[in-house]
Amino acid sequence: MNTYEFFMEHFGRHLIDAEGLTAAQGTEKALSSNYTTLKGTPSRLQSGWAVVRPGVSSLQLKITAKGIAYDNRTAMEAFIDELTTWDGDSPRIFLQFEKAPVPISNLFITVDRRLIRICSPKGVASFDMNVDPDSSATIVQRAIWKRLPK
Amino acid sequence: MDRFAVTLRLASPLVTGGGYMTLDALLAAVLFDSGETVEAAHAKVPLKNTQGLWHGSAAVYETLEVGRQAFVANLRATHDLTPDLIAKNKHGALHAKISLGRRRDFGPVMNGYQYLVAESLTWYGEGDSAAVERLLRTVRFIGKRRASGFGEVSGVEMSPSDVDGVVGMLGDPLRPVPLELFTGDKSAIRGDAAWKPAYWRPENRAICYLPSQN
Repeated sequence: MNTYEFFMEHFGRHLIDAEGLTAAQGTEKALSSNYTTLKGTPSRLQSGWAVVRPGVSSLQLKITAKGIAYDNRTAMEAFIDELTTWDGDSPRIFLQFEKAPVPISNLFITVDRRLIRICSPKGVASFDMNVDPDSSATIVQRAIWKRLPK
Repeated sequence: MDRFAVTLRLASPLVTGGGYMTLDALLAAVLFDSGETVEAAHAKVPLKNTQGLWHGSAAVYETLEVGRQAFVANLRATHDLTPDLIAKNKHGALHAKISLGRRRDFGPVMNGYQYLVAESLTWYGEGDSAAVERLLRTVRFIGKRRASGFGEVSGVEMSPSDVDGVVGMLGDPLRPVPLELFTGDKSAIRGDAAWKPAYWRPENRAICYLPSQN
């Protein structure tokens, strides 16, 4: 399974018209395009989060696109809930949006509890969900570890 | 085709910039530097290939120390080339890394790198070991920031090996291997990785069994 084909099939195709584009080109367009919010204003995916999963993916920013579940929770609440209910095998992409678009090279499909990644424009924070964070752990990893049920 | 281990001895710290540094990528880079095209360089890699998967492992090394090194470069704030020759952003303007409002002719740009200290890098592979050795004897520096002295190679050692560069003695993956091509221990870590050259091409990424981190 290719990262960008997965992203487009379960998330990107609901956002953009990808006709004539490769999966990678479609992914880049989906992550950097403007969308109409429910308030009627244009906005890129520049804040909040998304979880891409087989079936219906979730997005915090409320836009007019159909086929996506909109979810008010904070990124930490959503990621922790996803990680605790996840079967640890089916693919997920965890996205945390910031002002700059997430570069497609930072996208990563998580399929293993020992290698979880939260993708953001600044880079990819990888961690093992079963291991105590050490001094080099990212803020996201520490926050998730602190709130995971033990 | 024979199975071998090849070791590059290092005389200076190494900047990897992440990634697995597979043997096929290194050999393709050597071929590319010798004047081959990207396609020809990949076609001439002297390793066994199974359904697109090269029989060359990721680099294996023991990290003795990790540090950070920053480089400051003074870059011109304006482009020397004719603007027609430079890619534009989506607004039709030239990409500018330095704010012209704050700078005059030049502006400092700082880039930070993580370096590591290791005595050597070892790869396992299956293929034409003599051709591999010939190519690797031309490598004087490896990794990023080679022109700054990082990753200096002081010697090459070849030895026979029992593993094929894909699956280790214990069934562990020695390089990123797509799920459908992996014949080893299926309890290995899985993740998203580029598994064949060109490693920077998005279409060459897939869910793979991954080698353990160094």
